[in-house]
Amino acid sequence: MLKVGVIGCGTMGQLHSAIFKKLPGVELAAVADLDDQRRQEAADALGVKTYREGQELIADPSIDLVDIAVPTDGHAGLLDQAIKADKHVFCEKPVVRTNAECDLLEKLAIQTGKRIGVGHVVRFAPEYVAARDKVLAGDIGRAAVSRTFRGGSQFPKGWQDWYADYARSGGVILDLAIHDIDYLRWCFGDVARVYAKTTQGLTEERMEHAFIVLRFKNGVIAHVEAGWTNYPGQFYTTLEISGSRGQLTFDTRTTAPILYAKADADKQEVNVALPESPALISPYEAELADMVAAVRENRDPKVTLAEALATTRVALAALESAETGKVVNL
Amino acid sequence: MVRIGLLGIAHLHFYSYASAVQRLPNAELVGLYDDDAARAEEAAKLFSTTFYKCPEELLKNADAVIICSENSFHRKWVELAAKHGKDILCEKPIATTVADAEAMIKACDAAGVRLQIAFPVRFSTPMRRVKAMLEQGALGELLAVRGTNRGRMPGGWFIDRELAGGGAVMDHTVHVVDVVRWFTGREVVSVYAEVDSMIHDIDIDDCGMLCMELEGGVPFTQDPSWSRPSSYHTWGDVTLQLVGTKGTISVDALAQSLTVYSNAEGKMVTHPFTEDMDLELIKDFVEMVETKRSPSITGFDGLQAMAVALAAYESAKQGKPVTLR
Ligand SMILES: NC(=O)c1ccc[n+]([C@@H]2O[C@H](COP(=O)([O-])OP(=O)(O)OC[C@H]3O[C@@H](n4cnc5c(N)ncnc54)[C@H](O)[C@@H]3O)[C@@H](O)[C@H]2O)c1
Repeated sequence: MLKVGVIGCGTMGQLHSAIFKKLPGVELAAVADLDDQRRQEAADALGVKTYREGQELIADPSIDLVDIAVPTDGHAGLLDQAIKADKHVFCEKPVVRTNAECDLLEKLAIQTGKRIGVGHVVRFAPEYVAARDKVLAGDIGRAAVSRTFRGGSQFPKGWQDWYADYARSGGVILDLAIHDIDYLRWCFGDVARVYAKTTQGLTEERMEHAFIVLRFKNGVIAHVEAGWTNYPGQFYTTLEISGSRGQLTFDTRTTAPILYAKADADKQEVNVALPESPALISPYEAELADMVAAVRENRDPKVTLAEALATTRVALAALESAETGKVVNL
Repeated sequence: MVRIGLLGIAHLHFYSYASAVQRLPNAELVGLYDDDAARAEEAAKLFSTTFYKCPEELLKNADAVIICSENSFHRKWVELAAKHGKDILCEKPIATTVADAEAMIKACDAAGVRLQIAFPVRFSTPMRRVKAMLEQGALGELLAVRGTNRGRMPGGWFIDRELAGGGAVMDHTVHVVDVVRWFTGREVVSVYAEVDSMIHDIDIDDCGMLCMELEGGVPFTQDPSWSRPSSYHTWGDVTLQLVGTKGTISVDALAQSLTVYSNAEGKMVTHPFTEDMDLELIKDFVEMVETKRSPSITGFDGLQAMAVALAAYESAKQGKPVTLR
């Protein structure tokens, strides 16, 4: 039985706990959250031991695998403690917030014999996996230009409104666009240079929209776009890859097989129909199952710390470019 | 009756422009000239019009001309038409260098003739509707703009640097930049671009990505790549997304189309039922000549759009963003 502890009982923490609860060969041993009410709700729903501070959960000797699902600026400290406590770790993306933290984690990673995985869940999303398979199989010839979009929904509201504090979240570039940066790196390898622009500073409204132009070492040119709005909208993602012998594309607004429009009495906002793309195993479940299997089989998880750090450095380069107006070479 | 001549027919748009002229009750296609006599003769036959062996003869018999020559010859024909005092509709891009474009504008001003640049996308009904929405404040404050104008690799003189002045970036940047200038009233102040030739086996750029800034710091990107494969359902696209504080508008100029699964084509194709923007462009031009009003799309507009494409090439060469005047 692999004993797992989840730090953070917010959106992602709750999701991870529910998945660990049902994964075979796994025991959800404890959860931690600073917020008394959240902690109590988690205890009631999951029937597990709770801690207040993530640090206390890490100190619990019975726990083998620590899952870090706190706001991004809290990742590095908990990773540091968990690695030093000789735990296996699964950490939500972005793995850390700053380049200095990337450096720190690189050093720590050399010292641990344990498995460290990061939640770049898009590598487990079926439409993205299928697209990469096609590209690698040569179906579109040599890949040349790629475009990605992620967004359409309202600015997220987290604990302490941490998403709105860019020093903590990094805004849409570090929080949202990083998914596609990681996916494109998985498809095309290393990035040579980055140029980016964001609407940060253009408005006081709770919204941000960003464009990132990536040039990969293999030549591919990519346009990565992400946005949060201050008005209601449906979250969606798109991908397009054009090559010398063809092109592939999807838009989750049209690949969702089910659209449920329903009457909703107590609705203050525009009533949107909810699209749903059902799966027997969700990408979130697949990434955690892979992490558990990696520990058990003593192998690397699908998304390693090294990969996540490389992705994060590209996203941080995009933030730097957006801030300085300059091209950032990697 | 406005008598219209065609000077240069290298650009395939001459087909729809010529047919538009012939469909208008107040215009007449008097003839055409092209340096390539064989293609001129063929086109004259197709439109049952006169093939002039000498451009000056054509100019004598016309009130206005439409110039669809290769890009780098636009200047010579505009200057000749201006010398003869004829109003001009010039295919985009206005020219291949800033010096040529400025000389053309100056020549027209000096001769007192009107110079209009052919940006038909301004006459697309969906684009006109978006312009009206913007004027009504549908977006609130503008925050970001994303454009695409992708297509197939056109081949021919389009991939000859001397004649076209550039590849995909030259061909497919100006429409979107023009519409965005028209929509927002803002100029492009800086351009960063990745430009390369990776899709087709040609030695001119066939793909690229422009990341720009509009006045007021608004981010604006444009994808001009010849990235539509031959198996694609249509020639390409013209799309824009405008993000504002009160809403987001996405517009696809070609969305009004049928989806057709054709065994003869061996693939799915789309068949547009959009209103004809080329016809509206020509209508507007003919009206300009008739009423002697100023052109709705000026030489300056053409120059500003072309300057962005040239800045994109410069940026790619230098590996950094380039500031526009
Ligand atoms: N992979 C994805 O699709 C995805 C989606 C959303 C968020 N995320 C990432 O997941 C992470 C968490 O985001 P969220 O939206 O779930 O956050 P949230 O704001 O919903 O919840 C964070 C929780 O962490 C708790 N917390 C903070 N510091 C703590 C500490 N030291 N010890 C114990 N508890 C602590 C808070 O009390 C809060 O309840 C972020 O890094 C975010 O970027 C990933």
